[in-house]
Amino acid sequence: MGNAEKIDIDVFKAVARAIAHSDDLEIMTGHLTQLLAGTLEIKGCSIFALEPESGELELLSSFGLSVGYLNKGPVFSGKSIGDIKKGKPVIIRDLKDTDLLQYPQEASEEGIGAIVSVPIKFYGKNIGALRLYHHEQWDISEQDIDSLLVLAENIGLAMMYTRLLNALKEVKSTVNEVHSVWFNAIGG
Amino acid sequence: MMAAQKILLPYNFKTLDQKALAFANSTFGHLEDVEITLFHAYTPLPEIEAESTSVMGKLKGDLSYLSQKIMQLETELKAVEEKLLQGGFAQSCIHTVFKPRKKDIAAEIIEFVSDDKSNVIIINHKSGKASRFFTGSVFSKVVSALKDTTVCIVS
Repeated sequence: MGNAEKIDIDVFKAVARAIAHSDDLEIMTGHLTQLLAGTLEIKGCSIFALEPESGELELLSSFGLSVGYLNKGPVFSGKSIGDIKKGKPVIIRDLKDTDLLQYPQEASEEGIGAIVSVPIKFYGKNIGALRLYHHEQWDISEQDIDSLLVLAENIGLAMMYTRLLNALKEVKSTVNEVHSVWFNAIGG
Repeated sequence: MMAAQKILLPYNFKTLDQKALAFANSTFGHLEDVEITLFHAYTPLPEIEAESTSVMGKLKGDLSYLSQKIMQLETELKAVEEKLLQGGFAQSCIHTVFKPRKKDIAAEIIEFVSDDKSNVIIINHKSGKASRFFTGSVFSKVVSALKDTTVCIVS
């Protein structure tokens, strides 16, 4: 597949709106994976959250990949497409010609030809990864990689925003449960 | 007449869900007077404003691929239904709900339990620390909202 730019301003607008219009991270990331798979005409897309202690990439959302492939086993940032840990995008243009994969056999059986993996960052810290899977070899353009990096930064912001929103909702719910009698009793 | 036990089995195609399915089969499969509902709420395709014409065009071109992927999930759910049959549940006692989600998954489950009057739920406790940090715990939200429901936890 050629390396003409696929992520234009319209794709960017649609993706940005999907981020802005949802306060539910799973719906938002679900829409993002669908939009990216659909508009880039690729096999699938996944969004992971990084568990900082173990280095495991935990799946937040995915589209286009089979249940069997998604349940292949734990994905570790250090073993799978390693440079993500260093905060850099990793492009595997041809799956037949790489030793970067943790599950090469499963990827081949899934019919994946190429993978692009972009770190999701928040204030410079890795908090996840955005991965795109193509059915064939993929010469993604530098401009599209750059666009994906910007997009991943936005996903990082949205992840933290929804986390803070969840925390705020929990605080509100706890405060609502405090009966005025108890509140008075503790000197309110 | 309503079955003595109406079981809800939320299913999201994860390894823990397979464990929950095995538990449902071994614990309830051989019993009479039980009904079980397999429940999956999928993310519907995003709505795109008409002004984003080129995106709409690209998506429309690939819409059949996207819809096909969602239909594949429904087929996978049918395969799970088959496993319940093999586990001893009668065909007439197995129900499948495959619906687009309109709110967070915990709220979808809570609403279904209330509407369907399920009195048993088999739910897994997501092991992923990072994903739970960002999305919140479906398990905690569901369990704290339910009343008069037996909760079986798979972890």
